[in-house]
Amino acid sequence: MFEFLIHVAIMACLYGLLSLSLNLQVGFGGLVNFGQVILFGCGTYGAAIAFSHQLGPVAGIALGIVFAVVVAAAFARLGRNLGADYWGIATLAVAEVLRILANNEAWLTGGAQGISGIPLLFGDMPRPMGPLMTLGLCLVLLLAAWWLCQRLTTSRYGLALKLMREEPQLAASLGYDLAALKTQTLMVAAVLAAASGFVFAHYITFVGPDQLVSSETFLIWAMVIIGGSGNHLGAIVGAILMQFLFAFVPFVKDALGLPSEYVAAMRLTLVGGGLLAFLMWRTQGLIPERIGGKQNG
Amino acid sequence: MVQFVVDVLIRAVDLALIAIGLSSVYSLIRFPNVALVQYATTGALLALGLQMAGLPLVVAAIAACALVGIIAVVLNVVVFERLLRAGSAIAMVGSLALSMVFSAIFLVTAGPRPKRFELEINPPLRFLGARLTEHQLISVGISALAIGVFALILFRTDLGRCMRATATNSVLASATGIDTRKVTNTVVFLSGVMAALGGIGLSVKGEMSAQLGLDMLLPVFAAAILGGLGNALGAAVGAVVIAAAETMVTNVNFGPLFGESVLFIPAAYATAASFLLLVVVLLIKPYGLFVSEVKRV
Repeated sequence: MFEFLIHVAIMACLYGLLSLSLNLQVGFGGLVNFGQVILFGCGTYGAAIAFSHQLGPVAGIALGIVFAVVVAAAFARLGRNLGADYWGIATLAVAEVLRILANNEAWLTGGAQGISGIPLLFGDMPRPMGPLMTLGLCLVLLLAAWWLCQRLTTSRYGLALKLMREEPQLAASLGYDLAALKTQTLMVAAVLAAASGFVFAHYITFVGPDQLVSSETFLIWAMVIIGGSGNHLGAIVGAILMQFLFAFVPFVKDALGLPSEYVAAMRLTLVGGGLLAFLMWRTQGLIPERIGGKQNG
Repeated sequence: MVQFVVDVLIRAVDLALIAIGLSSVYSLIRFPNVALVQYATTGALLALGLQMAGLPLVVAAIAACALVGIIAVVLNVVVFERLLRAGSAIAMVGSLALSMVFSAIFLVTAGPRPKRFELEINPPLRFLGARLTEHQLISVGISALAIGVFALILFRTDLGRCMRATATNSVLASATGIDTRKVTNTVVFLSGVMAALGGIGLSVKGEMSAQLGLDMLLPVFAAAILGGLGNALGAAVGAVVIAAAETMVTNVNFGPLFGESVLFIPAAYATAASFLLLVVVLLIKPYGLFVSEVKRV
């Protein structure tokens, strides 16, 4: 049970990173990214491809970040003159194309079987210590990402982002370069997501295209909206909450004696129903965005 | 060549039905309803359920279409009118959440295994050297008829005039005495009926599963966006383009282009082709091929 809780906590931290990353795009920049999972996938495949070519983990994280930044640049190029709804669909389409590529180009990605046997980060440590060290690393990463996001969004840069979200025409007329703002935001967010993917690959030790289905993106969306979009703490709380709820769905299923497809159905209901309920009755989420300059959380 | 045209048409009509529904609703309430593809699955599953309850397929299909139309109106009034007050991006995310709840319901009610309609199996007919079954012929005929009827409604009736007036300028339309809310709900009803018909058409020709709707999501959006979201008949053209691209990728021998005798693109790339087409079109013509609206920021 203890090791299971550590596992859930590690996953919650990794999703927390993804949620912070999406929150930066959606909550602050107003960028409706439906392809978030592929930025994470850049991190996982970066680690996996570096491993399968006998390069070290340092090359893995570098590769992952390069992939992610390239994809982010492509997203930003697409978003330069698209409305939010068109751009959302376009990012979803790009993410699907890349997933189909990963599924079929077996020479590079291992195809549908993916790449397995990626070494654990703290594999040579005795049993309870390895996962604990991973959890520590995840916590450090999460706190660092939080600090970075906090610094970014409480600065003038963050105010420019919010202005772009609320009044894009006004922001453009004040001389802000919206295309550059979007590109920079997406790239920062992509690096966070790739870091999460890198640790995930070295923790689960397996990378495959099934980890990159679009429902993962919607799960991260639910975390951001339920936690409170435009609030970093909210994004992290949303991720931890959803991850722990998800972890206990199988126990509920066993307790009620339901067949196994109910696990998937209950998770879908949690994500979809939770998202919908918050959008309808509490759009600001659990921890609302704080309006104002320096105290902005 | 005839076989190619027949294959394209078979694929295009059902895509077109759903895409036209999506586009015409978008023209009135300015947000792309992702849940529309789930209405298609709902229609197919309801028709199957009614057929298993003993109704003839035609009666079951008509009843299912009407039911889905009513569901669409109810959801529009209860969910989307509320979400739209918070903005179109919120409404779009909400429709995504709603479609996840639909997925959960499909999983629990219909189970994860694919199903088929009970149809007698006839040998395929020959038409100018192309093979097609009787069911395909009837289903394509009905879908094409439905598109024709919708076009007639749009361009030849009072309701169609009200729809076009509301789409062009809803404030002015309501000032001239048009009940825009009623017009919107009528169109939502029609879109539900068309989506259900498209879903039934798709599953008559192949298998039906809980994934049917989500698999259609990107092709339908690609068709609607190619035609210019909000332009109902443009969506029909978009559907033909998408269907042609998908069919071409899987059926055309690219060998002679590269100096080899046989070179086929793997079938898995059929969907990727339509998404890529979508992304390329969005890069070049951000608002689709047939634009009828002023560019937004």
